[in-house]
Amino acid sequence: MADEKLVPTVCPYCALGCGFYIKLEEGGTGIEYMLDHPTNEGALCPKGNAALEILSHPDRLRFPLLRTEGGWKRISWDEALERLAEEIKKTIKVHGPGALGFLGSAKCTNEENYLFQKMARLLGSKNVDCCARRCHSPTIPALNRAFGAACMTNPISDLENSGCIFVIGSNFAENHPLVARWALRAKDRGAKIVVADPRLTPTTWLADLHLQINLGTDVALLNGMMNVIIEEGLYDRKFVGERTVGFEELEEKVRGFTPKRAADITGVSTGAIVRAARIYARSPASAIIYSMGITQHSHGTNNVSACADLALICGHLGRSGAGLYPLRGQNNVQGACDMGVLADFYPGSVSVNDAEGIRRIEEAWGATSLPIGMGMTAETMPVAAGDGNLRFLYVVGEDIVNSDSASSRGRKELANLDFMAVQEIFMTETAEMADLVLPAAAWAEKEGSYTSSERRVQWSPKAIEPPGEARSDLSTIVRLANLLGLPFDYAGPEEVLAEIGKMVKSYAGITRERAEGRGGVIWPCPFLDHPGTPILHRDEFCAPQGRARIVPVDYLPPDEERSLDYPLLLTTGRIGLHYNAGSMTRRSISLMKRAPELFVEVNPQDADRWGIVDGDLVEVKTRRGEVWARGRVTTRQEAGVIFMPFHFPQTNTITSDVIDPEARIPEFKVAACRIGKMKGV
Amino acid sequence: MKEILVRPERCMGCRSCEIACAVEHSGTKSLLSAVAEKPAPRKRVYVEFVPEYAISVPMACRHCEEAPCVAVCPTGALRQDEVTRVVTHSPEACIGCWTCAAACNYGMIGRDRVERVAIKCDRCPDLEVPACAAACPTGALVFKEVEEFSEAKRVESALKMARGVAAGGSR
Repeated sequence: MADEKLVPTVCPYCALGCGFYIKLEEGGTGIEYMLDHPTNEGALCPKGNAALEILSHPDRLRFPLLRTEGGWKRISWDEALERLAEEIKKTIKVHGPGALGFLGSAKCTNEENYLFQKMARLLGSKNVDCCARRCHSPTIPALNRAFGAACMTNPISDLENSGCIFVIGSNFAENHPLVARWALRAKDRGAKIVVADPRLTPTTWLADLHLQINLGTDVALLNGMMNVIIEEGLYDRKFVGERTVGFEELEEKVRGFTPKRAADITGVSTGAIVRAARIYARSPASAIIYSMGITQHSHGTNNVSACADLALICGHLGRSGAGLYPLRGQNNVQGACDMGVLADFYPGSVSVNDAEGIRRIEEAWGATSLPIGMGMTAETMPVAAGDGNLRFLYVVGEDIVNSDSASSRGRKELANLDFMAVQEIFMTETAEMADLVLPAAAWAEKEGSYTSSERRVQWSPKAIEPPGEARSDLSTIVRLANLLGLPFDYAGPEEVLAEIGKMVKSYAGITRERAEGRGGVIWPCPFLDHPGTPILHRDEFCAPQGRARIVPVDYLPPDEERSLDYPLLLTTGRIGLHYNAGSMTRRSISLMKRAPELFVEVNPQDADRWGIVDGDLVEVKTRRGEVWARGRVTTRQEAGVIFMPFHFPQTNTITSDVIDPEARIPEFKVAACRIGKMKGV
Repeated sequence: MKEILVRPERCMGCRSCEIACAVEHSGTKSLLSAVAEKPAPRKRVYVEFVPEYAISVPMACRHCEEAPCVAVCPTGALRQDEVTRVVTHSPEACIGCWTCAAACNYGMIGRDRVERVAIKCDRCPDLEVPACAAACPTGALVFKEVEEFSEAKRVESALKMARGVAAGGSR
């Protein structure tokens, strides 16, 4: 057709960075597959296929809204931004900048996130964070300590070259479906796939060996495997000797962790543990894929360290087919972290305690006293709001009310704020609580760069106009900053990207033109002609002396155990048809048709014991409260464990709020609970 | 002649194919308008979950060489292309007798609720690769010549066997 136009775009859902075209033609927009994209080769998961459904959705926010006694009142942008600036100034004057909180968005572009944290820090607040806190915050300290770089080591398509893919705590077949494409291709070429997961999932369907471990016993399994590998001499002596430190301590630590002991804790047979260890260690190149099943624990940082240790002792790093794959959750969570939208890091992974590094940033920004030290995190901001230490909160593109653990408590705490502004595309439950709601452009309605899980920086051009008066987050942030007296002067996102290149070394060679090319550029890209670095740690690690650090860890049980009152364990996760807190996918007709409501999976033995039949409404109660969900009786998990997806608001009101001491991530994955059939239904 | 062939062992049950199919067969072929379309566009490919084995199988029309649905159709609404053997259906000629649904071994005949006629896979005549196969993340649906498809399966199977022989030989 002559009057149709194809605009390339990057999928707004998970962090794989799949490409497709938005087809603009008379009467609507459609999807055209991008067959030459290096990650997805045209294919899309159901969420990607349905991505356009949210764009012209009737629920989209179209105008700035101010809360008044008579309900929401439509106001002009000028009024809205002036009011917001006034509230910020007032808070600084009365309570100091430490009472300001800023939550950036792993769904926004690099440029928007960079300016957001720059604004917050120039105002003197160190309380900048984003939802990375709830997914991969343990990955950051653990992998920084181990490798000196907290990110995926190899590109997704490189899985094709693996001889063994060891999956622990990831259900990628549902949550990152395009990973399955490459894992299956490796399998076609003879690779073995080993999956450790307490549940049967579409990912375990494709496993050669499934280790159905008890909830939260990952370290026991990994230490047991490392015991076998060291005892049987299967570790890579050369790699360990030349490229790592700390092996002796690990050897000491795992000596007592016999396969028998690991089997007792994990609930899988010693034979299976030995087999898994041998398959992983012996294959010429083995990859480890992990995700929320590893990180969302009260000892998430230890879990990540144990994964890194396994890769290090076997030398499965720094070459094709090997590597460690922390699969990130949101389309730009890697980018938001790189941009320093984290309470513990400035842009370019400069620690908030690194006075010298911060001094260099002050010079670049023309600032005098940027805040030093750890700020409040996404998890501690609501608590501080409850205590009165946080008075103002500015949230961009996050539904914190639904994604926090024990979220009903968080709701009460947020109500204590003097002022909350929320910048969103939909009226989420968080926005419902705000004093001011600013309508934002969705991904296809603005331009900028996104960094995928594989560190691929891709430019996503604007395809269509935002609805009503909705605006790009970039223009909103710049205008607000100007009202606050900050000299933000950028002609467009490409100028912001140029500044990012000066602040973040690994982005130095990335320009708009390069990011616009098919598949963009994979960082580190330290200078303009640099081709990008798909595989990290080839010759040396970014750690001292170029050597990786092996960090031995102890096994710690999950915080909550079964008891007489709470005889079952609840674990949570995702399903293929929904995404995170669901503010987008629960508005998508073709996805809702296929997955319409919250369900709870119960093993038949437990169902018998508590008189539950498939399809019953089931009450699930934990120490934090109770919710209702449609019961599904299935052997997908063993007796004693129940599963609920967290895409519907109820789930996170009852999950555990115990946090990892270092990464401060809540233990979403294990909560003691009890169930019962809803009476009178 | 390329066919839509199924590798059930690769299906993750994500139903991406169903969404892609419904969109391709909507009036506007565009998702934005398709979701608002009344009635909602119907898919012609189905992902069936088999609980006993916890496996999902994508089911697509086989476009049988000797198609039973074509053989029984009393009005000629179902027709088979002489060269490509693609079985197509013209709603104008269909009388909604459902004999085709009775004859089909695979349950590939659906029902258009408004027109009250049969609805089935047309193998996306406007597309080089049918929408379901293009959308499939894992390659569970492939659009290939049967020879090419079977060769790929043979190579994979031979590799497994070769590995077994090698393992046995080194013991």
